[in-house]
Amino acid sequence: MEQHFLADNALGQFLDCLTQYGALHGPTRTSDGVDVFGPIQAGIEGLLLDYRRTLIPPKKYLIPPRQTILNYATATGYTLPTGPAPQLVLFGVHPCDLQGIDYLDRVFMGDRPDQLYRRYRDAITLVGLSCEPDAFCFCASPVKAPHNADLFLQRIEHGFLVSTETSKGKRMLAGLEPLLTKTEAAPPPPVESRMMSRLNDVAVTGRTFPDSPLWESFAARCLSCGACSVCCPTCYCFDVLENGALDEMTADRLREWDNCLFRAHGEVAGGHNFRPTRRERFHYRYLHKYLGFGALAGVPACVGCGRCREVCPVAIDLTELFAEGDDVCA
Amino acid sequence: MTRPTLAIAGLTACFGCQLTLLNCEAELPTLAERFDFTYFPMGSSRHDIGGEFSAALVEGSVSTPDDLETLVKLRSRSRILVAFGTCACWGGVAAMNNHLSREAMTESVYGKGAGPTGSFNPCPLHRFVTVDFSINGCPPEKHELLTTLAALLHGTLPVFPQYPVCTECRNRECLCLLIERGEPCLGPITQAGCNARCPAVSIKCEGCRGPVTEANVASELEVLLEKGISREEVIRRMRRFYPEWDYGQRS
Repeated sequence: MEQHFLADNALGQFLDCLTQYGALHGPTRTSDGVDVFGPIQAGIEGLLLDYRRTLIPPKKYLIPPRQTILNYATATGYTLPTGPAPQLVLFGVHPCDLQGIDYLDRVFMGDRPDQLYRRYRDAITLVGLSCEPDAFCFCASPVKAPHNADLFLQRIEHGFLVSTETSKGKRMLAGLEPLLTKTEAAPPPPVESRMMSRLNDVAVTGRTFPDSPLWESFAARCLSCGACSVCCPTCYCFDVLENGALDEMTADRLREWDNCLFRAHGEVAGGHNFRPTRRERFHYRYLHKYLGFGALAGVPACVGCGRCREVCPVAIDLTELFAEGDDVCA
Repeated sequence: MTRPTLAIAGLTACFGCQLTLLNCEAELPTLAERFDFTYFPMGSSRHDIGGEFSAALVEGSVSTPDDLETLVKLRSRSRILVAFGTCACWGGVAAMNNHLSREAMTESVYGKGAGPTGSFNPCPLHRFVTVDFSINGCPPEKHELLTTLAALLHGTLPVFPQYPVCTECRNRECLCLLIERGEPCLGPITQAGCNARCPAVSIKCEGCRGPVTEANVASELEVLLEKGISREEVIRRMRRFYPEWDYGQRS
């Protein structure tokens, strides 16, 4: 099959061309040694092409950790924050994170579109990059382009195969053609992910492992530090706060990332808590993450990126439930 | 409309919390316009606790009969009593040695034969009076103070984070000093709101904002012991801002 090929030595120019679609952001390393998505200023300098995963997924560009969602003024009432979202090109997004964005799109732009989310999403161009899995992750398509990749770069010897899955990507590709050559390449070999197929089986059958002793062990260890959801590409639960200003006439309504292991997550007015214990919160996390809620019931929200397993200070790994499930079946 | 009346006071304290208010330089003109600072000995020359207060912000722990008298007076004259800073909320640094004998401590400071000082173990305000709201921190964050004052103008009280410092630390994509460096970071059991001020500059959390809701103390202790840090060292660190941890608590 004939495909577009980008040679390693043309990558710098390729990135320069991408900046016409917005400010270039991609995987980079902070001075403390943390891999993050951030602005890529000096061309390919500072860009981490062979990174495993960033601490926080690119969801931070769509729903920031803390964001003003409404402004209030006595004269005008509640209004959406004004001003356009910044035009961004997210370069080097791995397939798992592209799938994460796809899931968030379904949540925030499905039956009741969130105007602010859409504003940010429409301003983002996604350039995917194939990845090499490590011991933490278990995605089923580390080298294949998900359908939302405007451009997708698959690493091969001396360069990348470049493909597109969107109409925007087709237009971009036409403009980038002078930098590309044609090459014959076989389609990427299918990857088997035993964990991902287990996970899909569980979502289809709706298994909840109610008698597993793991729940108690998770609950006893969990610090409720929030890392699992902060770092999850599909965790979108948020809390809404409103703070009045000192002028007595204006206020900001904020949304900030929440975590289902926090006590306040299931707490309502009057102090009642739907999930007073950590064990109940873990069941809830499991149900939402692996079996799905509401319009997304039956759709697992786990994209296999491995972040929650890597960042948990007490090594809690919900997928142990499936492994245990296998033993029960056997 | 009459302006809300405020009392800003300190008990056994370093007065750093009250200084946080004076450090809000950009907002001071607005604050002076919106509030009547009726009683504020650190910031004004008027020293009598006269009248009634819409709210009293009280800094420091209670460790002398005078402290207690001031506190009770403020409580009985105020609609809302705010524990202002970690000493007022949790005992703070003044209380870190509450487990030692007061006689021995008095002797080590004032020498043999020194009479009784009349002071007692420093305690948080809630040990003696009803506290309506707390602003944690040593010192508190300006933005939490200003948000509280603004909320008072709107006739309400704000909602502050009930999750640990770790959440804000991860949100800022800081290096995890606990996992990556094996340092005795107290982030997992400490109330957020500082936006991970210290871990963001590679300094481990010392727990200055006091215990988070439902702190999993036992699990934090297990993690730190596994890292090879001694139990004595961990407890010494944890006691610095709050002396009454339940080391077996998981929720």
